[in-house]
Amino acid sequence: MTPGQFLLIAAALIAFGLALRRGVPTAQRALRETGQTITRVLPLLLVALPMAAFLAELIPPDVAAGWLGPESGLPGIAIASLAGGFIPGGPFVSFPLVLTFIKAGAGGPQMVALITGWAILGFHRVIAWEWPVLGPRFIAIRLIASFALPVLAGLLAGLLLPFFPHALVRP
Amino acid sequence: MSRMLNFLRRHSSILIISGIGLVAGALVWGLHGPVAFIGALGVAFDVFLMVLPAMLAGLLLAGSLKQLIPAGALAKWMGEESGWRGLMVASLCGMVMPGGPMAAFPLVLVLAQAGADRGALIAFVVAWALNGFQRVLVWEVPLLGADFALLRFLCGLPMPFIAGALARRVPIRWAPPGATLPAEGATSPHAAASRPRAGL
Repeated sequence: MTPGQFLLIAAALIAFGLALRRGVPTAQRALRETGQTITRVLPLLLVALPMAAFLAELIPPDVAAGWLGPESGLPGIAIASLAGGFIPGGPFVSFPLVLTFIKAGAGGPQMVALITGWAILGFHRVIAWEWPVLGPRFIAIRLIASFALPVLAGLLAGLLLPFFPHALVRP
Repeated sequence: MSRMLNFLRRHSSILIISGIGLVAGALVWGLHGPVAFIGALGVAFDVFLMVLPAMLAGLLLAGSLKQLIPAGALAKWMGEESGWRGLMVASLCGMVMPGGPMAAFPLVLVLAQAGADRGALIAFVVAWALNGFQRVLVWEVPLLGADFALLRFLCGLPMPFIAGALARRVPIRWAPPGATLPAEGATSPHAAASRPRAGL
């Protein structure tokens, strides 16, 4: 078990303990909520993990090492930012993909840009959820205000990367 | 017709992912052979086993927090705030907001009707999408490692502020859907609850 997993499990138990102190009905609601999320997330996961693995198998390794490699610089960051926007689905898709890219030799700033592009631009989520709930004008304002941020995050990661020597460990 | 569209939207993620997965799987089988196909499935299963404990803990954490933090409290804090402090409160709320887009975007609507300005709303959305604690803890740390996750998180930290500050200057008129009524016609219980406080 990694330290991160341990911290997470501890935090979950503490939060659940606090809910229990509020009374058994609160704890029951928390458990019901958790169960509902599991039944929603688990099918997604079971479909998404094979998809990410197949895609990783299809993407030639030199794409990760070349276009998105550590030497690709600002163009690589820009490509990664835009490509991130087109990754469909949630974290169950994007993070396994990024993991395979890192293993194949992608650069740190490029991967930060990819994740940021997926999170901020995420066109699939915009169309499926943001548009119906908040409307096209809100989306326009938000995208105008944030379309350059993935590139900025990538550049920032380039500055910070020397302080994180273990960020790109490739087993 | 609209019920069918609703069904498609609710399940759009799983439908799109299944579609891409089937095509990609067929391509792997055709181009690289059945051994590569089964190998990829093995990789997927290993990732699944690796992620499962952290995911169950993360979901329990989210489920418990949701009981401990009432939605009305978030609206109160972000309600009439403006300036950098409002953006900071909104960013923090976005980061602790658990749940997927099906929970976050409806909450944006509630906050908007309670009087949060567009800068705060967009800071909230960007912070939730980029730095949501739940996603970082459940997915990013287990899959990519704590060091990379921390680097990525630090790089994302200023983004909600920038997006919120820029959004206040975008010359596009926007009103939350259903909030065009006069102030007396408050459309949600949160909006009604926050109005008297705003006058103090």
